Amino acid sequence: MSSELLRLVGVHKHFGAQIVLNDVNFAVSPGEIIGLVGPNGSGKTTTINVISGLLQADEGEVDFQGHKINRLPMHQRSRLGINRTFQVPKVFRDMTARENIEVAARAVHLPVTEIDPILHDIGLLELASRQAGSLTVNQQKLLDLGRALATRPKLLLVDEIGAGLSPAELHVIADLLQKLSARGIAMIVVEHLLEFLNRITERVIVLGAGRMLFEGPLSAASRDPEVIAAFIGAA
Amino acid sequence: MPNSTSTQNVSAKPNRLRTSIILLVVLTAVFLVAPHLYANQSLVFTIMTFIVLAQGLNLLYGFTGYLPFGYVGFFGSGAYATSLLVLHTHLPVLACVAGGGLAAALIGVILGPLLRLSGAYFSIANLAASQILFFVVSNPDLADITGGPYGLKIEQVYDPTASYYCMLVVLLIACGLAAYFRSSGFGMALRAIKQDPVSAAMAGLNVVRHRLIAWLVSALIAGLAGGVYAWGISVFYPDAVFTLDFSVFAIVFALFGGVGTVIGPIVGASLLYILYSAIGISTPQYFQLIYGGLIVLLVLFLPGGLLSLLQRRGINVF
Amino acid sequence: MELLAYAVIGGILYGIFFTLVGLGLNLLFGVMRIINLAHGQFIVLGGYLAWTISDRLGLNPLWSIPLSILCAIVIGWPLYRAVVPRLQRSDDPEMLSFILFFGIGQMLTAVTMLLFGADQRSLPEDALGSGSLGLFGQEFPDSWWWAAGVSLTALALLWLYFSRTRLGYATRAVMSERDEAIATGIDVRRVSTIAFVAGLALAGIAGAFVPYLLGSVSPDLGDGLTTTAFAIVIIGSLGNPLGTIVGGLVFGLGTMLMQTYYSSWSNVVPYALLLIIVLIRPSGLLGKAVRLA
Repeated sequence: MSSELLRLVGVHKHFGAQIVLNDVNFAVSPGEIIGLVGPNGSGKTTTINVISGLLQADEGEVDFQGHKINRLPMHQRSRLGINRTFQVPKVFRDMTARENIEVAARAVHLPVTEIDPILHDIGLLELASRQAGSLTVNQQKLLDLGRALATRPKLLLVDEIGAGLSPAELHVIADLLQKLSARGIAMIVVEHLLEFLNRITERVIVLGAGRMLFEGPLSAASRDPEVIAAFIGAA
Repeated sequence: MPNSTSTQNVSAKPNRLRTSIILLVVLTAVFLVAPHLYANQSLVFTIMTFIVLAQGLNLLYGFTGYLPFGYVGFFGSGAYATSLLVLHTHLPVLACVAGGGLAAALIGVILGPLLRLSGAYFSIANLAASQILFFVVSNPDLADITGGPYGLKIEQVYDPTASYYCMLVVLLIACGLAAYFRSSGFGMALRAIKQDPVSAAMAGLNVVRHRLIAWLVSALIAGLAGGVYAWGISVFYPDAVFTLDFSVFAIVFALFGGVGTVIGPIVGASLLYILYSAIGISTPQYFQLIYGGLIVLLVLFLPGGLLSLLQRRGINVF
Repeated sequence: MELLAYAVIGGILYGIFFTLVGLGLNLLFGVMRIINLAHGQFIVLGGYLAWTISDRLGLNPLWSIPLSILCAIVIGWPLYRAVVPRLQRSDDPEMLSFILFFGIGQMLTAVTMLLFGADQRSLPEDALGSGSLGLFGQEFPDSWWWAAGVSLTALALLWLYFSRTRLGYATRAVMSERDEAIATGIDVRRVSTIAFVAGLALAGIAGAFVPYLLGSVSPDLGDGLTTTAFAIVIIGSLGNPLGTIVGGLVFGLGTMLMQTYYSSWSNVVPYALLLIIVLIRPSGLLGKAVRLA
């Protein structure tokens, strides 16, 4: 139990009458990468929101390093070691790329010498003085990731970072995620692009209408009858 | 090599410190000399008051995006607290003024939950709170304590020179705080929170605490200004220190100059109040028409205020 | 007991009238997310219109109702076109509209003061029937019944508009899901312009009765009316125009009861109600539009 980084137990979430997460249970070990897939509306981003603290679970437990964090505010979760990217990157548009990282670095007392290495990792060192609002979407996604890295996360939640990227850009990001994983950062990667996902992890969880349909190897997922039904049914 | 851009950042900070000091020195010089050049000291006193109010409002609106429509509530609270301290205790005047500031900050603590609201909800609720304070203070039932509709008199401490210099000190404090907000990590955090509170929270920032600090500092400034103002005029009715006009002026002056900067409120308040004293006191309706029109034009065409004209040309305004 | 009966029935009548006061504000917010801080000033203008008709033209002030509608169209349409599209395109339309209409309100107050002077103007009691009608043994002036009647009529017409006309359906679609409504081809601009003009018209119509219910009309009433309207709208449900009646009744009863028992505190009522509701239940007693930072 205590060797696990994150554990979700019986998590439920509803918006009004609509059930968005229905009895979600899984665990993530340190350094592990899990893919989170499912049709649109299956609850993937909601799961990320519940883990990162943007939303609170209506029932069930979210445990991080053995402690229940259900009611912990977002900024404290990021200080504990959970961070995330956003489907639509949320950068501080009027600040430079460097300042974007600096905000997070200051908040967690990261030495300023660590900022440039992060910029280097995400490949934005040359653009450090550019306004974040003027960067391309791809660059903003990387900056989003950089902001998350500045808080030294043990668990990184990546929300559809591959959407809209060219094959070359996907390649860069896959490499980056692999590099981060090699440093010991655990990840939950929400993705639609299964080929991209395949490059970084074998293990996936499939969600359908808020329920967990499958947990196991990606290759087996595509043969699971419930998974097939969910994807075809949603299409 | 990583070094070039980081030294740029580091050297920017001493520059900011130098600019701040120069600004404060200039302000001191201007307002020390003014009473000798211009006979109407009370006018200059009032200009300083409005610069402080505009700057205090800027601390909140310019850096967090919350627009306190009831800002005058803190001003009035400070005025009343100071006056009551003068009347009922034997504390020296300066201590009473400080007490006024603290009282306003205390009201800020009580009204802290308002910060949970967003945008217009906050503004209207803040206005309502300020009006409630006014009605409580001016209620005839409470006349024994607050003077009710008849106001308060603290003529025993009347001292136009001392209160003038005191207001100058408050002005320097307000501008100093604005300079701090503008150039420090705290200010950077506020800017981030204003742009995207969710992302800021995930960056590790305690959004609520930062906003609360800005809110309390802003309240403190208004309270100090109210206390010194009460000292300066020494006799006042409730609506002299709780009038909506003061909130309006603070908002217009700050917007006109440019919020989020240090110089903006100074420029805006000075220019517009001088304009007001020239034409507004005799014909207040025309002035109201003009500054109403000014607000409309500002929102439609120049939401960043006068200084944004410079910022568009790439000049980094302090 | 008599006193209580008077306060309750009077409060209901007063409250029904104040629903009319809040209705226009709610409509503007519901459809366009615009916060019209000049709302009170438009009401005051309506009051002066009624006074001009009654005092200068010698006609029954009720004629100001159709005239208000006309003025709302003449003033509202160009005002909308000049201001709203630009607002909707900006970064923060809610706050900017807030400040913008605040500026407009200041201008209107100044103009009203310049045109009519600062004195309070009242309307003749007998214009709307000089007697009084009674209910459960309590008498209230005819003008109060007229005000309540007009208000209920306006509510009924609004309800019919929303539920029976195509434009009304479209308006409801825009109110609940703006982006989807645009996507399905609804002419949002037309819907919004009509809502804007209607909101101003409702303010003007309410203004005709202000001299009767509040005693007189003067240029400085605007701010208080705006805040009161806000309180009513927020108590009922911001963005749900038909819910305004709940806010109106709560306000009316609260004010009348306070006036009866602790009269020197009665002007705190709208502000205190607003503060309490906004802190405890920002969605209003009925609504869902929660706005938390």
